[in-house]
Order: sequence, then C-alpha cells, then structure tokens
Amino acid sequence: MTAPVKIVLVYQSLLGIYGDQGNSLVLAQRLRWRGIDAEVVVVEPGDPLPADGAIYCMGGGEDNAQTTAVRELTKDGSLFAAVDAGAVVFAVCAGYQICGQTFTIGETDEVREGLGLLDVTTTRGATRAVGEILTRWTRPDGSEYLLSGFENHGGYTHLGPDATPLARVERGIGNAGDGTEGAVQGRVIGTYPHGPVLARNPALADHLLGLALDRELEPLGRVQSVHEGLRRERIAFVRR
Amino acid sequence: MVPVPRDLTSFDRVRLAAGTVLGDAAAWASRRLGRGSGASIRGQILTRVQPDAFRLLLRGRRIAAVTGTNGKTTSTHLLAAAVREGLGADAARLVTNADGANLHYGIASALAKAPKADTAVLETDERVVADMIAHGRPEVLVLLNFSRDQLDRNHEIKFLGRAWRDSLTAAGDAGPVVIANSDDPLVTWAAGAARRVIWVDTASTWVADAALCPNCGDLLTRENPSADAPTGRWDCPGCDLTEPQADYVVRGDAVELPDHTVRELTLNVPGKFNVSNAAMALAAAVELGVPVSKALTGFRTVRSPAGRFAVTTVNGVGVRLVLSKNPAGWAESLPLLETPTVVLAIDSVAADGKDVSWLWDVEFEQLRGKKVICTGPRAYDLAVRLAYAEVEHEVSVDLTDALRIASIAPQPVDLIATYTPFQKLLKMAGLR
Repeated sequence: MTAPVKIVLVYQSLLGIYGDQGNSLVLAQRLRWRGIDAEVVVVEPGDPLPADGAIYCMGGGEDNAQTTAVRELTKDGSLFAAVDAGAVVFAVCAGYQICGQTFTIGETDEVREGLGLLDVTTTRGATRAVGEILTRWTRPDGSEYLLSGFENHGGYTHLGPDATPLARVERGIGNAGDGTEGAVQGRVIGTYPHGPVLARNPALADHLLGLALDRELEPLGRVQSVHEGLRRERIAFVRR
Repeated sequence: MVPVPRDLTSFDRVRLAAGTVLGDAAAWASRRLGRGSGASIRGQILTRVQPDAFRLLLRGRRIAAVTGTNGKTTSTHLLAAAVREGLGADAARLVTNADGANLHYGIASALAKAPKADTAVLETDERVVADMIAHGRPEVLVLLNFSRDQLDRNHEIKFLGRAWRDSLTAAGDAGPVVIANSDDPLVTWAAGAARRVIWVDTASTWVADAALCPNCGDLLTRENPSADAPTGRWDCPGCDLTEPQADYVVRGDAVELPDHTVRELTLNVPGKFNVSNAAMALAAAVELGVPVSKALTGFRTVRSPAGRFAVTTVNGVGVRLVLSKNPAGWAESLPLLETPTVVLAIDSVAADGKDVSWLWDVEFEQLRGKKVICTGPRAYDLAVRLAYAEVEHEVSVDLTDALRIASIAPQPVDLIATYTPFQKLLKMAGLR
C-alpha cells in the first residue's frame, strides 16, 4: 500500500478567487480514475505547508493577498524544500506572479519581492488583459497542443534567461503582449489563464502528473468526450 | 400630500414631463417587440431629454436604498411589502423598482412613473450607490453583502466597498442610517463611515471573500462557530476592525429583535439567505417607522420577486425558476433543489460575467444522485465541472431542447439559471 499522491492547494482563501482550485481537483481525479490513490490537501495561511507534496497549486488573487501569501510562504519555508526535493509547482495568475523575482501592487506600483522560484519579473501593463486566450504549447514529444483559457491580469510578466515560455500566443495577451505565455523553470510552471486551465486542457494536467510521478501516464478515456466538447466550443469561440 | 418634486423650475418640469411621455412610448414599443419590460429604454430616453432626470426625480422623496452583491431584488421586494403594509390605504404613496432595473436609467424610469409617490424603496446597483447617496440623500441604506461577482469587470471586490465608504464619509451628518450585515467584514468596514449603523447578524456562511482585513490587510481570525453563527465571530488582530455587536440577530428561521424578543418570519420565499434578507429588510422597515408586526405581514405577500422562485410553465413544461449569478449565490441555491432531475442554465455574456471559472468555486458534488441537464451557451463548462464532481448529467446547449428533455421528468422541475437565461425563461413563461 503506497501513500496517496499529495496535491497541495496553497492558500485557497488568498489565491483562489477565480475558481483555480479546480486545477487541484482535476489533477486528483485524473489520478484516481487511473487507479492511483490521490488526495487534495488544502492549506490556509498559518497552517504548516506539507513538505512532501507531489504538486503544489496556486491560483489568482488580489494585490494584498499576494503580499500576504509571499510573507507566509517565506516564513513557512516548506515550499522551497519541496521544490529542491523535486516537487512540481503549478501557479496561475497572481500565483504565477509571486513565484517570480519581483511584482508590483497598488496604484502606485510598489515593488514586492517574490518567491524567486521563476526567473520572471512583473510590472503593471499598459492595459489590463481580460478575455479568452488561446496559445500553442509544444509538448515534450514535440507535438503541439492548443491551450485555451480566460486571462484577467493587470501585471505584465517578462522572462529572464533562466525561464522559458510555456507557450506561444495565438489569441489574447499572455505574458506581456510579446507573443509568449507562461514560464517554465525546472519543475515550476507559471501561467496566466483561468478556466480553470487544467479543466480546459486535460493534456496539460496529465503532463504535470507525468512530471510528478516520473512516468508517462496511459490515456484516460473517461470524461474525454465532455472535454472534447468544451475544447471544440471554446477554440471556435476565440477564433471567430 | 405634497406633489413631488416640488422645487423644480418650470423648464425642468416640462423636460421631465416630455421625457416621460417619450420614454413611455419607447417602453411600449420595446414591450411590443418582446424585448423586456422597457424600464431601461424608458429611462434612457427620459435621460436624453432631461439629462438631470435621475437627480431631479429622487428629490423630495423619503428614500430607502438596497444594495449588495446578492439578494438585492428580493430584499427590495420584502422592504417594499413591509412599507406598503405600513402605509395601509395610502399604499399609492410608495414607489419601487420591482423589476430589478437598478442602474440610473432603471431607477429614473420607476420614479418617473410615480411622480406623486413620496416614499421610494429602491434597489440600487453597487456601482450606483455613491450617486444615490449624493443625489438621493436616502434616509436608510441597506448594505447586504459583498462577494466575488463578474470579476472580468470588477477586478477588486474591495474597490466598491471603498467607494461606499468614501461616499458615506462625504455625506457626513446628512448621510443615511445604514442597515449593515455584521457578518461581512467589507460591509462592516464600509458602513463604519456612516453617521449611524443598525447591525444585523445574518448567520451568513460565505466567507471565501473575507480572508483579509479591508482596513489594514492583516489576516482575519474567526472563533467560536455555532448554529447561529456558522462561521464564528470574525476579528482583525492587526487593527480595531471587529465584528460589531448586532442589534438584530438571525436565529434559525426567526429574528431576535433589539429588545431580545424573537419573531418567526414564516416567509413565502425559500432558503436561509432569504431569512437573512428579511432580517435586513425588517431592520430597515422599523427604521422607516413600520411596526414589526405590519412588516412581517407584508413579508408574507412576497412570493416570486421579479420571477425568482416562480413556479410556472415554459414551453409546456412545469418548472420552478431560481436565479443564481455567482458562487455565493449558487452555494445558497443548490440546497434548495428538490427534484430528482434539475436543469442548470449557464451563459457568459456581459451580464453573467464572461469568465465561468467560478463554476469550480461551487460545490456541485452535493448534486450526486440527481440527474442534471446542462444547458445554455456554457453548458460544456458545466458538464466538465459535473464530470469531475461525478454527477450524472446530459448536455443540451439549446434551452428549448433542454426543456423538452426535462419534460419527461416529474414536474415542476427545479431550474437554476444565470442572469441571461433567467431573463429568457421569464419571457418564455410570459412573466415579463
């Protein structure tokens, strides 16, 4: 009997205003449906973060919540230990921004230190990016997969030399209107789209699970048709 | 009775009258074309002829305004019913925007139809509150609650709270008495600027949007949850903001009054959140001078405010219509579902919010054992959510087809819809 695979939902009350908690549910269910035991551990500020998580998920939130989350995660320290031990971090929107070196908050653009897990910096963009987004992700096997979602962010993110973009933008703004979307550095992945993005793009969910388990997962027939229905509808909508 | 508004120049008066006549014509045409009640178009035309219509029409009336993320329409109906009961034979003195048209145009439209009514109970959109306070000088302002809603255009929930607080500060001693939900930290912070506040402990359960102190940004603490205070008392360790001692307290289906007597509400609208809404409306009615017993009698006349909870027939299928617009609303409405087959209709045009990620903030797992018919333009988003919740479902994007599928189930079938499909269903049912 092996221990269940632990999916850690980091600070739902701070980094969870856009439904991004769905990402952790999608990850856990896609393991369970393959017969692999999985649990979602919801951690709130003040509670100790488990250091033995397989995947740590963070979502979108407001400016003050970002500052609080960085302060609490730094104080706790377990996230850094988990990343050093090979855990996967999947961070969306505000969660993506705080994984970087710096980000800004408020109307006066105060600069705040991030967690430093991604070599990216975020500053306020000229116009807020709000709307459906479609990007092209090149999978490890070289094949291309469309990622669809809904972006809603005022910050624009620029990548440093240690981070590489997750995908190329077909429709929408992405990182900073420069054609790139998201960032990857080791096993830390940041991205802007909500949806939640893993519910809209099950192949990305399976990619994260493969990374966390260090093995390729067999395809999952269950729920495939409903995913295909949603992808067809959303991709046609954003391209029309 | 005093004709209102009484201190207008004759030029203003003529323009208001002309605008009302033209607006009426447009509203009539709109109804004939099946485009809704026409309230908004009437207000638009009126405002084009008399740009000051909103401000002028508010003048000279006793006003109670009702706002918040959820429960505005039902609370407005409850308060209006209480005031109507209080007025007795003088009920014609009351005007209210019963149709839920709560922006400047909708409010102007309702007021223009009742130039002689000197008492107004007005549902007011969150974004119109500042103008309502500045121009309407309401006697009473009801602040229901704040939660995530249409985040594609309201990026920071706190932004609206700050606007309320600033306009209450600006109004000073001329500002309204505020009826405020003491369970809601952002409402409490905003109401703190009012000259006088009546606090209502609504026994709310939605806390997902109240993690941080709206005043200082510290993490709020919660302690001692109980049946009457399911989420416990909240407090900020970093500053003075704390849950105020309530004047009115929701206790189950009853309300404890400031004198500690407990009164049963026996409402004809369902759900715990409508008990909360009624407690807020009761406090407001008392402040307007309505005796408690009359207010409670009035409440019982409210059955399907602007079509909410209406049991009706759509395309020959018996349904009960429920409106839910955001996760806090869905958290309240899902437990109301009683039928084994339910229809859930999701859209994402501007009035619904363009991002439906919020579906994942709703605990659909509680529908296991039921059969869900997913409909509306975003039916597939719901279907994926239900698949992961392991709830049996079927997708039928077209509303008419979905109703046809529902027609084989025992009726009336419970149906929850977001704003746009809800309005469509009301029209199909002939209710607007």
